[in-house]
Amino acid sequence: MTSVADHTLELRNITMQFGGVVAVDSLSLHVNQSEIVALIGPNGAGKTTAFNCITGVYKPTNGQVYYQDQLIISNHPQGKMKALYAGQHKDAYKEVLEPTPDRITKLGLARTFQNIRLFKTQTAFENVLIATHLHRTSNLLTATLRLNYAEEKRMCQHALDMLEVVGLADLRDELATSLPYGMQRRLEIARALATKPRLLLLDEPAAGMNPQETDDLGRFIVDIKQRFDLTVFLIEHHMDLVMDISDRIYVIDFGRLIATGRPDEVQDNPDVITAYLGVDEE
Amino acid sequence: MKTAKIVLSLLLIIIAIALVGYTLSSQGDLRDLVMRLDPQNLSSADSRMLKARDRVLDGLAEGDRVRDLRNLDRYLEDYGPQLALDGENGLELFVYRNGPSLLAAGIALAVIGAALLVSQLDKLAKLRRPAIYLALAAVLYAGVYIVENIAGSSSMLMTVLKKGAIYALIAVSMNLLNGFTGLFSLGQAGFMLVGAYTYAIFTIATDSRAQVYQYYDGGLVQFALPTLVAIVLAGLVAAFFAFLIGLPVLRLKSDYLAIATLGFAEIIRAIFQYDGLGPITNGSNLLRKFTTFDTVLFPFAVAGVCIALIVMLIHSTYGRSFKAIRDDEVAAEAMGINLFRHKQMSFVISSFFAGVGGALLAMYQTTVQASAFKASMTYEILLIVVIGGMGSITGSVLASFLFVASSEWWLRFLDNELVIGGVQVPLLRSGFRMVVFSVVIMLMVLFYRRGIMGDKEFNLKRFLQPRVRKGGDVRG
Repeated sequence: MTSVADHTLELRNITMQFGGVVAVDSLSLHVNQSEIVALIGPNGAGKTTAFNCITGVYKPTNGQVYYQDQLIISNHPQGKMKALYAGQHKDAYKEVLEPTPDRITKLGLARTFQNIRLFKTQTAFENVLIATHLHRTSNLLTATLRLNYAEEKRMCQHALDMLEVVGLADLRDELATSLPYGMQRRLEIARALATKPRLLLLDEPAAGMNPQETDDLGRFIVDIKQRFDLTVFLIEHHMDLVMDISDRIYVIDFGRLIATGRPDEVQDNPDVITAYLGVDEE
Repeated sequence: MKTAKIVLSLLLIIIAIALVGYTLSSQGDLRDLVMRLDPQNLSSADSRMLKARDRVLDGLAEGDRVRDLRNLDRYLEDYGPQLALDGENGLELFVYRNGPSLLAAGIALAVIGAALLVSQLDKLAKLRRPAIYLALAAVLYAGVYIVENIAGSSSMLMTVLKKGAIYALIAVSMNLLNGFTGLFSLGQAGFMLVGAYTYAIFTIATDSRAQVYQYYDGGLVQFALPTLVAIVLAGLVAAFFAFLIGLPVLRLKSDYLAIATLGFAEIIRAIFQYDGLGPITNGSNLLRKFTTFDTVLFPFAVAGVCIALIVMLIHSTYGRSFKAIRDDEVAAEAMGINLFRHKQMSFVISSFFAGVGGALLAMYQTTVQASAFKASMTYEILLIVVIGGMGSITGSVLASFLFVASSEWWLRFLDNELVIGGVQVPLLRSGFRMVVFSVVIMLMVLFYRRGIMGDKEFNLKRFLQPRVRKGGDVRG
């Protein structure tokens, strides 16, 4: 194995198997510091599943995830899965490390969701404010008795700043669900940013957006990447967006990596074209 | 506008000081007052009256205020017309009789004045909200105290207020869990039972223990704790039970959690009646002769402090994460909120206050028996929470007073047979009240599902200024 020294994120042979279905098959990839890397593939290729493995929502059946040289997730086929396992590298990993999503977020990986998951009964501001909870220093008692006045003020200020960044400061008191679709997406990004991440994972940020909005979003992602010195790893369907902003692209189909490289390389790759357009039978 | 308010607040404070001062200065000797009430020239025909007066004066020597007032009442009732009651000593008499109420009113006025003053001073802007809440609390408590003095502490109104305050605390504690954290738990009666028993066991007077624990040689515990310490202990023990039960149970989702907690409540009820634990729990016998309260202010004070703490918790960063968990567990976890720990916090805190509520309920009932803490008690509380609105503290409080008032008082007449013009009104008989009550609740849940308040809170500002026009210039 090569050194992982400058990789912000590295996946080693991540396999996710649901019963007999292999959703992600031995996916290995890496994201370098300050890169924007995209993971693309046709519907059902296993992109979101891969994301869920990184963020701790699913426990991968096999494989390891490193974050800044540090092993954060690791698993190998166990129990029933030993017999059922259909992926590769079955015996490569023996360690078990299964952190919950909140632990992953605390490490500095923040994500957004494909189907927007905002806190529905709360305002835009409150949505972002909740994300500042993980950096609290107060305990239950001091927080209840308002002895953490300074911290509370900092949290509110930080949440406001994040709303400002995504341009929603004027709508802070609107109910999250009453915002237009595009703004809900932005609010989700603001919420993810409020956790002070180093690596931002965006799950189809442009889904449901028109070309104009998608364009804006692309510029916005590049902008926040520079502003907060982030590394961005995103899943996307919109080819325009991906080609515009990504430094590198990984293409998967049926859970397997089929191509990787710079946007222009990937664009001309015959395997990718086949995967997206289907195989010509003749 | 501002100057006017400052002047008004100063005026209020001055009136309050005058009222308190005057009341205190007229709380002198009742004997003196009685003597002055006498007509100047008593003939021998009035000897009976003189005797009655002497009886009053004799009684006064003991210094029992309540008895004094009763004697005086009787004296005035019998001989009132012949006494020299004029405006001046009439007022004095009124002030003497209502001294405590007037003092309470004076203090409340002073607090309102001070709060108004604070809210108008820009330098104290930070204290504005606490000041307003303090003023509201002062009005509430003074009001309750005055009503209690007028209506008497054993009147139906006071009974309803006492039980209502206790149910309000328990309903709010359940709302914290069900309405704010989204954990559907049905264990409330179990935690109340633990709280009630803990409180009762530790406050039975040492010399009554032999009598209470007559089948168990006076029981194991042979000391009594101060009331407030025992109440806190009741909460802590309930919280400890919640902590243990939460370890396995909180990993379950919605319906399963409800079933598991309901099961816990049933099991704990059986355990507390178990004969082997008799030296502590008195088996299936009553626990009695523990410290109770007689003024309505006590449950109001304890419940008020507890509810205030819960409200402060809900508005803290922890409360916000509880609401996040309720709205979307997956997103909450992705925002770095440790689901299990926060659910456990909410569960333990809710149970703590349910335990405190149980202790208060024990005091209210003056006896405790495990068999009374049935699942139906949890349903009553759940009903209050639903009627008030899941996720609304003010809703829960309002609903518990309404619920207690209707079940104990307003619908009581339905239980009594009634004969109008020789015809017995059909259906009115013992037990009919519960039928009507159930129907009302069914209608409520069918057509008014979000409850009285939904998930909103009662907002004083909106209440006082209902007609804020859009775009208009609103000046306070």
